Amino acid sequence: METLLAPLMFVAALAFLLLGYPVAFSFGGTAILFSLLGTVLGEFNPRLWAGMPLRIFGIMDNFTLLAVVYFIFLGSMLQKSGIAEQLLETMGILFGRLRGGLAIAVIVVGSLLAATTGVVAATVIAMGLISLPTMLRYGYNRQLATGVIAASGTLGQIIPPSIVLVVLGDQLGVSVGDLFLGAMIPGLLMTVAFIIHVTILATIRPDLAPALPQEVLEAPGLGRRVVRVMLPPLMLILLILGSIFFGIATPTEAGAVGCVGAIVLAGINRNLSWRTLQEVCEATLRTTSMVIFILIGSQAFSLVFRGLGGDSTVQEFFGLIPGGKYGFLLVTLLLVFILGFFIDFFEIAFIVIPLCVPIAQQLGIDLLWFGILLGANLQTSFLTPPFGFALFYLRNVAPPEVTTGDIYRGAIPFIGVQLLVLGLLILIPDLVYFLPNWAMSP
Amino acid sequence: MSILLRVMRWIHRFNRGVGQLTAWLCVVMVALGAWNVVGRYVGRAIGQSLSSNTLIESQWYLFDLVFLLGATYALQADDFVRVDVLYSRFSPKGKAWANLIGTVLFLLPFCGLVLFHSWDVVASSWVNREMSPDPGGLPRYPIKAMILVSLILLILQGIADVIQNVAIILGQLRLDAPIVTATASIAPSTSELPADPIDPGALGPESTSPEAPTPTPPDPLENL
Repeated sequence: METLLAPLMFVAALAFLLLGYPVAFSFGGTAILFSLLGTVLGEFNPRLWAGMPLRIFGIMDNFTLLAVVYFIFLGSMLQKSGIAEQLLETMGILFGRLRGGLAIAVIVVGSLLAATTGVVAATVIAMGLISLPTMLRYGYNRQLATGVIAASGTLGQIIPPSIVLVVLGDQLGVSVGDLFLGAMIPGLLMTVAFIIHVTILATIRPDLAPALPQEVLEAPGLGRRVVRVMLPPLMLILLILGSIFFGIATPTEAGAVGCVGAIVLAGINRNLSWRTLQEVCEATLRTTSMVIFILIGSQAFSLVFRGLGGDSTVQEFFGLIPGGKYGFLLVTLLLVFILGFFIDFFEIAFIVIPLCVPIAQQLGIDLLWFGILLGANLQTSFLTPPFGFALFYLRNVAPPEVTTGDIYRGAIPFIGVQLLVLGLLILIPDLVYFLPNWAMSP
Repeated sequence: MSILLRVMRWIHRFNRGVGQLTAWLCVVMVALGAWNVVGRYVGRAIGQSLSSNTLIESQWYLFDLVFLLGATYALQADDFVRVDVLYSRFSPKGKAWANLIGTVLFLLPFCGLVLFHSWDVVASSWVNREMSPDPGGLPRYPIKAMILVSLILLILQGIADVIQNVAIILGQLRLDAPIVTATASIAPSTSELPADPIDPGALGPESTSPEAPTPTPPDPLENL
């Protein structure tokens, strides 16, 4: 019986989630239902619930999670003050003389911005609203345009400084700075792979991604725009990353200073008003609470899951997998990939990752590498039809002439590119280790 | 029913007020966070400690207040992530059923149970006037008590949600727009965007700061 209730709880949680009630409380509610069931059947000791307040205190004095607030604030400030849009416009014009240039601009900006939000939905919606109409107006193929947006919206997940990596570091017990460094080359690799894909496509089929018309390119004042609206936000993000990489500041500290930087930038652009500040603060407050309460709900879930003996069930399950390290990796990645169809990153990070970590450690898998693989893998999952999250959210903001089929077909080439990079990361772990090792050496 | 609806609106307004006030703490948090960094470096240079455990712990406390008091507002604004594979296809009444079931079966029991278990822990912390173990640290008991406040606010909001969804199911409350789906708050709303991001005419210096009017967050209750 003991072996049955825990897996059943997992399946039930997924089923309850389909009801559509907020995930955080669905997890908590599932935990209560199964602790009742377990208590009645004599499988669960209800006194274990007394551990819940301690878990909440643990979240409350967690220094790493503080960074979440700062990076969300930073991302919202860049978006609500219009800096993000101006960045996209300017880059669009700058790259516009190339075939596929607009798409390249979307990839670059998407990876920069997504980095600071981390919620797939938010990024894809924002990018969809800002760039889809523009690409369509300039004659981009619908499938290419939607594919680029969905792909770059998920891309930012593993590009530092993303809150996904912050949360991952917290759950894996790996330093966030190391994760940022480790994710740098894989993230850049994906960005470059996307750009190469778009460039090749635009060369073979120029009609899919035309260059911008001359009058747009020759509009006056481009140089000044580059200096005024493009360089400052890029500098800001580079400074944040640099200070973390060189050990000058922790991610939390760099995030806080970065927020001040974003406020100053918005002020210089004359886009800073009480109104903007209020909107940014409210967005930060709500998104932070949402993330932390998913963590709280997940803590309740795992408390009951463990109380029901779920830990040993998971251990036994993974013990059955042949192939040692690589067998475990393959199965975990596949499982997480499928879960990614149903639940967003944070739920997976808070529930599944803590279950996998001890086993990964037993098998001698390095957690830094494991974390990056999981991130890259999830990113692909969010992009995969028919369930991928990114595709749904893009559907919600796409104009009616773009069909769901367009969005699905547009995503497929990018999934191929991502899987290729994921394969590279598995085969050549040094892509992850190179920067952290290099930073350690001097 | 009309009394209940009035109670519901009152709870909504109260919780929104709490959330909007708490949101400003984010600015304080940014300022304090930056000060702690600058203070550390400048302090080292001039040989004086400008940062302290008090300031560093205040940063935590602000973070705790932000997420504990912000949760209700996020719930109300429908910012909590939902798995909306099916939910997005439900009719407004179907959504109301989903929300009613979720509130009664998940939200209220969960908050109630955690409240029940936290009570004694917080009470003993309060009685002992628990302090931070670090020198210069802040008292722990007030921030621990905020857990109770957070849960009570969530339960209040849960009660309002029950009233709201029952009213929708009974047809007593019509929401013109279906309850907003789980879009994250960071996404700009359409009306904030300039009509034409890459418009040759939009390159003039005066147009670099789009002063588009920023709409208030949508509140389905406002149009009752």
